[in-house]
Amino acid sequence: MTHEEFDDLAALDAVGAATEEERDELQRHRSGCDLCRESERGYHDAASMLALSLEPVAPPEEIKESIIRNIETMEATGEDLDEEDAPERTGFSRWWLAAAAVYFVALFAWSELRVQAHREHLLALEATAQRLTEENQRLQRSTEALRTQIASIAGPQTSMIALAGRELAPSASGRVFLDAGSRRAFVFFHDLPPNAQDRSYQLWIIPKEPASPMSAGVFDPGQDGRATLVVENLPAATEIQGLAVTVEPKGGVSAPSGAMILSSS
Amino acid sequence: MTEVARGDPGQGSYLPAVAMGDRDAFERLYDRYAPAIYAFLVRILGDTADAQEVLQETFVQIWGRAASYDSARGSEIAWLVSISRSRAIDRLRSRRTREARENEAAKEISNRDSYVVRLNAADAAVVSQEREAVRQALGTIPENQRVALELSYFEGLSQSEIAVRLDEPLGTIKTRMQLGMKKLKERLESTRGLR
Repeated sequence: MTHEEFDDLAALDAVGAATEEERDELQRHRSGCDLCRESERGYHDAASMLALSLEPVAPPEEIKESIIRNIETMEATGEDLDEEDAPERTGFSRWWLAAAAVYFVALFAWSELRVQAHREHLLALEATAQRLTEENQRLQRSTEALRTQIASIAGPQTSMIALAGRELAPSASGRVFLDAGSRRAFVFFHDLPPNAQDRSYQLWIIPKEPASPMSAGVFDPGQDGRATLVVENLPAATEIQGLAVTVEPKGGVSAPSGAMILSSS
Repeated sequence: MTEVARGDPGQGSYLPAVAMGDRDAFERLYDRYAPAIYAFLVRILGDTADAQEVLQETFVQIWGRAASYDSARGSEIAWLVSISRSRAIDRLRSRRTREARENEAAKEISNRDSYVVRLNAADAAVVSQEREAVRQALGTIPENQRVALELSYFEGLSQSEIAVRLDEPLGTIKTRMQLGMKKLKERLESTRGLR
């Protein structure tokens, strides 16, 4: 296979269009050619840009929590698998306990029932303890996140910007708490009117330099007209002049084009 | 702040730290890329519930396989996109319900309840620059090439299926896709070179 032939197939493979045979050919040639590997990397990066051409949409917060729980479960399962000889120990224990039980039944018939009940109670307690430990860990993370947010909002480096509703939504309001230390903003919106199905709200950061607004993301309020946003990694060196919210096509746009709903004074 | 400083490599790669089991780095990785990948999954699957499931599967897989990431094969985001696309296309092919995906997705997104939205201004700015570059690059390639690329990348159609869908010879489709990808790659490389 020539470099040119490899290049043709790599272009197809990057968008998932190469056939199985073509992928095999790529695999054979790739290992011995640095030039082609570099070219292939370029195609894969270009293909990934197709995905990034879409306006980002923030997934629900509970997705992240669910992922973290899954990971913790995986890790917990991994610990259990390390104890593969546990069933043997249990078997031995059962045999020994059974023999002991026979002995005790012969001597004290009622004691076996007590041992059994005690063991079941112990297992139930262990299961409860495990559940509580997991719940405690989850709550600790949640508490820590809340503590961080409260500390940010109440911190000496935090400034507050009020957003007022414009003509299209005069009753809408927003408060933005900017924490310069952590480069984080907490944004609370109230009384936002519902959007048409093909529209979303888009939050804009208006820096002093350069003057063009920067998109901070797209969001939709709940049925109660409220929305809460956490904006991280605010531009460090750029002094923020203000923020604004516009109505834009679903998925957002690269520069504000729709009606302004809220803005800082 | 400690929480921010830990596991934060700026605009560098989080994956080496994730591979070492750094949970903070993993959460930063998620915060940086999940919105872009979620939008990508909604575009492919046309269904927010499916997109959310695949997003979870993708990031759980990333946690488990971060050590296998090889920067020589592509950028961090290219690797993440590749994993998410692979899972999404698998699901799409098994589901076989392709009609009216974009309309359904738009409808479901607008029906979301209120929730805390976590945004990342710096990442949004970087991604926004990339997005603008891609849109400009996509704008320079002929529409018939772009359509063929999108049918393959977003809908998982094979060359033959695209040929049938567009009622064109297989060789024509293959050539269009190759030309389109080469032009896209050249444009992006040239854009990056200018920065």
